[in-house]
Amino acid sequence: MPEWLVFVFLVAVFVLLAMAAKVPIGPALALSALAGALFAGEGPSLRHLVEGAFGYFDTILIILTATIFIKVLEDAGILDTVTALLLRTFYRSRVLLLLAAMLILMFPGMLTGSSTAAILSSGPLIAPVMMKLGLPRLKTGALIVMGGILGMIAPPVNILIMIMGGGVDMPYVGVTLPLLVLIVPLAIIVPLVIGYRDLRVIGREEMMSILPPALGPAYRLRLAVPFIVLVVLMLAPGVTAGRIPDIGIPAVFLCAALVGVFCGRPVNFLKATQKAVAESLPVLSILAGVGMFIQVMTMTGARGWIVMSILSLPSFLLYFGIAVSLPAFGGVSTFGSASIFGIPFMLALISKNALFTSSSLSAIASLGDLVPPAAISARFAAQVVGEPNFFRVLRHCFIPALLQLAAGIGMLLLAPFLDKLI
Amino acid sequence: MNRIKASELSAALFLILTGILCFISGRSFQTMHRPEPVFPSAGLTATHRLSDYFPPLKNTHGDTEVYIFRGTEEGGNLLVLGGTHPNEPAGLVSSVLLIENIRGKRGNVFIVPRANASGFTHSDPQEGNPQRFAVPTPSGPRLFRLGSRLTNPVDQWPDPAIYINPARQKLSGNEVRNLNRCYPGRADGFLTEKMAFGIMELIRRERIDIGIDLHESAPEYPVINAIVFHENSSELAALALLELQAEGFDIRLEASPVNLHGLSHREWGDHAGIKAILLETPNASHGRLKGKPSSSLIVDGKDKFYAKASRLGWLFVPYGEEGIPLALRVARHLAALKALLGGLAELEPEKAVEVEGMPPPAEVQKKGLGAFLHPPQKSG
Repeated sequence: MPEWLVFVFLVAVFVLLAMAAKVPIGPALALSALAGALFAGEGPSLRHLVEGAFGYFDTILIILTATIFIKVLEDAGILDTVTALLLRTFYRSRVLLLLAAMLILMFPGMLTGSSTAAILSSGPLIAPVMMKLGLPRLKTGALIVMGGILGMIAPPVNILIMIMGGGVDMPYVGVTLPLLVLIVPLAIIVPLVIGYRDLRVIGREEMMSILPPALGPAYRLRLAVPFIVLVVLMLAPGVTAGRIPDIGIPAVFLCAALVGVFCGRPVNFLKATQKAVAESLPVLSILAGVGMFIQVMTMTGARGWIVMSILSLPSFLLYFGIAVSLPAFGGVSTFGSASIFGIPFMLALISKNALFTSSSLSAIASLGDLVPPAAISARFAAQVVGEPNFFRVLRHCFIPALLQLAAGIGMLLLAPFLDKLI
Repeated sequence: MNRIKASELSAALFLILTGILCFISGRSFQTMHRPEPVFPSAGLTATHRLSDYFPPLKNTHGDTEVYIFRGTEEGGNLLVLGGTHPNEPAGLVSSVLLIENIRGKRGNVFIVPRANASGFTHSDPQEGNPQRFAVPTPSGPRLFRLGSRLTNPVDQWPDPAIYINPARQKLSGNEVRNLNRCYPGRADGFLTEKMAFGIMELIRRERIDIGIDLHESAPEYPVINAIVFHENSSELAALALLELQAEGFDIRLEASPVNLHGLSHREWGDHAGIKAILLETPNASHGRLKGKPSSSLIVDGKDKFYAKASRLGWLFVPYGEEGIPLALRVARHLAALKALLGGLAELEPEKAVEVEGMPPPAEVQKKGLGAFLHPPQKSG
């Protein structure tokens, strides 16, 4: 059976199920994977389907526990209080507010290398502030997505580079400067592009009128405790060079959530957990489905066919191939794209400075978080701002994403010059 | 996004379905815990466990066999490690081939065929690999497990976001389960770090002089068909290179990068002072460009996508339609081992290691692996 035919069949079944039969995306991916395995003559391949689904087990736990954390903060009244605090601090200046919002959005991603963790932990803090100051819901979603994506690739932790570096024996050393050269301008320009026109400067009275109900001053210090627990547990292993063990991001979110129960209004932890499961289940099922889909693509040779088709492009199309394939495969898995395409591209560009190359490729690959069917970051940002159709949020990410893509390709092209300059 | 209409009945049905799926697939995963039998030659003088050198490994999936072949004459001590990465089958098969054929003559040989025993108990998600591959022998196919590059997460979990290894190198989190990033190990660390520590203990207590870590790499990876050497072994590696080239093997030397820590070719030399060598052969089955993964891809090594990639100049090794079979990859390892032992005898005669019965690399290529492997039917 030709590999291209298996791939076409897989995609056709998925489209048919998801679009025509309106089957939810997760089950549609799983069913198309099963159908693909049968079509390729591999039988039901249960072992492969289960194995593929477990490829995202850690990510699934991060999403679930981060959602529980947010639900606890919501129920405890902590989210509203933080929103009020941010409004009081930044209501006078659009530029300052946008830059501060971007930094807050990026921060968890910078520590964890996970855009999901960033969007789910910072997004709910920033979203109400922005919307109350006039930024439309969809643009707020776009700001949150781009903050999460830039946080994911910003130093000190860029997992995409670690994955690509691991494939070419490049230690994770010396990437901070190239990453800063790439990301600092984007972190300034992107929020201004998305929000400057719509965000309103308001007076004190109007600000006071839109403040959400905040917890009283008696709670002030206690409110910070869940965030302190979160940041300390994330930072401690790195700061102490591993002497304080890393308990894993899911456990970090869970610890912070449990602490949050005692820091604001009384919270029913079980109910908060149930709400979190109900809210995150569709995305979790997509991840499991994507895992099965990739496993079947790989076991039937369809993945190899796709990779080779792109790598076979003539050399003058190499940069075009990078610009398209890295984000496109990210629609299935951003980390998978870094491994499957990023490493061969690193090798293809081996004559250039590897630090600049890997930084650029990570910026381009990270855009895969915007690409359907997974579009994990876009889905979560849409969820944070209460938008059921994540494509509407994606529309506002188009220009910032193009800017990031241009910056990535620009750095790739200028790598020899930057190498001499820096 | 569509929402699934939930009811108690649908929940119960999904639970039952999940239970059935877990049961069926669980049985398949469970088979990975059955190690393939090894049939040592009459020259075997002792079998130890890694836990004999580092007791905390006892009763864990990190414990593994150490096969010892002591010679009748004084000499040096050689350590051969296979299965550091259980998805690189030439390491395991070369070690098994040695165990089933050699007799010690001079010095002592220590062979660990499944260095990361836990990694053999699972396979990498989304790689679509078979759980086993079959090497043909005159008495029928002999099965070997194809595991994962990493320790089984059932044995070591969760991964940290960032892994700072015992040598203080910062790596992506899942490398915490990569044995060849965990040297020199930690006595009180993660399971994989304990395995690395156990191997370092073996090296120290058995006064190993030369350690050879058998690997494979994807054909698109630059360090391939290579002898990677610690700087204390540069002369030895150069001598071996000359001999291998004289025998017609295309091979290159790669110095162990001094800033890349946690790997055997770096830390064995730095921390135990032994001659540390890592060997790489090309294996399409764990590359990113591979076609359909199968036992045949592993054993015959034929892959049309790699052949195409080779024509396009994407690879660091010639890869024709005829592929690079496992027999050739194992023969390369054996030839390199033979050349390294020859070089050691020349450079430091008092540390020479000589063995008898080692399958000649040319014969392995000509007759196939099966001619030198114990027949499978006696596995009981």
